[in-house]
Amino acid sequence: MTMFSEGGPPAQIKADRDGFVLAPSPDAPISAIVEYVEKRLRESRDFFFGSKMALDLRERPFRPDEIAALRQTMEEAGGVKLAEVRIGDDHSFVFSWVGQQLGVALKEYKESGDCAPKPQPVIVRTTCRSGARVESPAECVVLGDVNPGAEVLAAGDIVVFGNLRGMAHAGAWGDRSARIWALSIEPNQIRIADLVAVPPKGGKPVPKRFEMAEIREDRIEVTTM
Amino acid sequence: MAGKTIVVTSGKGGVGKTTTVANIGTALAKKGHNVVLIDADIGLRNLDVVMGLENRIVYNLVDIVEGKCKSAQAMIRDRKLSNLHVIPSAQTREKDAVNPAQMKSLCAELTEQFDFVFIDCPAGIERGFKNAIAAADVAIVVTTPEVSAIRDADRVIGLLEANLVKETHLIVNRVNQKMVKKGDMMSVGDIVTLLSVSLLGIIPESEDVVVSTNRGVPLVHDRSSRPGIAYTKVAARLEGEEIPLDEDNGVKLMDRVKRFFMG
Repeated sequence: MTMFSEGGPPAQIKADRDGFVLAPSPDAPISAIVEYVEKRLRESRDFFFGSKMALDLRERPFRPDEIAALRQTMEEAGGVKLAEVRIGDDHSFVFSWVGQQLGVALKEYKESGDCAPKPQPVIVRTTCRSGARVESPAECVVLGDVNPGAEVLAAGDIVVFGNLRGMAHAGAWGDRSARIWALSIEPNQIRIADLVAVPPKGGKPVPKRFEMAEIREDRIEVTTM
Repeated sequence: MAGKTIVVTSGKGGVGKTTTVANIGTALAKKGHNVVLIDADIGLRNLDVVMGLENRIVYNLVDIVEGKCKSAQAMIRDRKLSNLHVIPSAQTREKDAVNPAQMKSLCAELTEQFDFVFIDCPAGIERGFKNAIAAADVAIVVTTPEVSAIRDADRVIGLLEANLVKETHLIVNRVNQKMVKKGDMMSVGDIVTLLSVSLLGIIPESEDVVVSTNRGVPLVHDRSSRPGIAYTKVAARLEGEEIPLDEDNGVKLMDRVKRFFMG
């Protein structure tokens, strides 16, 4: 996910519960980030002085010397202490740094991936009433209605053998090819992947057998079958 | 003799739970059953007001569960019917003065002597609700034909199912058939389709309700009151009688008469 378009700031300084967080843009060069941080801290030195700042590197892996440069800039320009470095799933740069320290390359051997079980679809055998929330790591099948106020989320497709009147979110982890099937779709809102749709005002055709919602050309469309 | 424990609940406030408890309870007592009504809305006591018994309260529900009095001492006998009793709630305490286990043992004790134990549930789904439904065999969910009340009723039915209350019935209160006909109000059919529980009765909207509440005399004592008649039918259905539902439907009946005259 690219949060910053080109031409945006090379980094963002945010505040959270524990203090400030510096989040560099994934595509910005280190020189631009250091320059930007220095400028911001000098501009508001009184505001930042003596505070702690975390470095969020989940979007952009860093080399250790880059972290050191940034840390030095923080302390010199604003009297800001580097409190912690946050890293994401990509540990490769940590391995390469440890490897350099040891003088021997570190290599990670993972358990073979295909033994991980495939997530099973969730089957709900009752009506989902207001306040119910169903989450599925795969497909989700509801044998009953989904009433207003209920929420059904699935990483894959959602199939409702009843009326869908509540909120359904198919492809909740970003799968745009996910679909929603129901005997009748008349929800407050439906979501597929990152798109949200509200049904049009006014009457709708009575479904003959069932209805299906899918993404076509960047919008959610409901087809009556 | 093992009676039935029936909780009357709704989720949303102001839909007519207390009125429903007072009227169904009174109607069943009129038919000769031994009935006790428990006000479980601790801190917001009002079943006693609707029953017109406010000035006779000495002990209350919290006193019973805390062992300050026997359950028989806290029961107030109705002014007209000797087989109808009310256990009022405490006005100066909070919901956590009682826990679900205490409600269960109290109701178990009461069902030994009474045919019907009615529990008037507070609005909401927090502690008071959990206390009220703990001992229930049967739940009556009251709703009005408003989207907000129906949404809350749906949530409550879900919670009742999750708490293993086996039997759930629905009463749709304050139905105005004229507005339904004009399409300004949801019809009872739509509500039942959405909530998918068995319908126990339809209570028409009426000004009589306010008058009866203020006087402290339940509607079922008045034979000419339409909601009173509807509540009497609900009570009969609870006894197991089969009374068709559309009879409640005052306007429809009138229409039939009209059609007959028009030929």
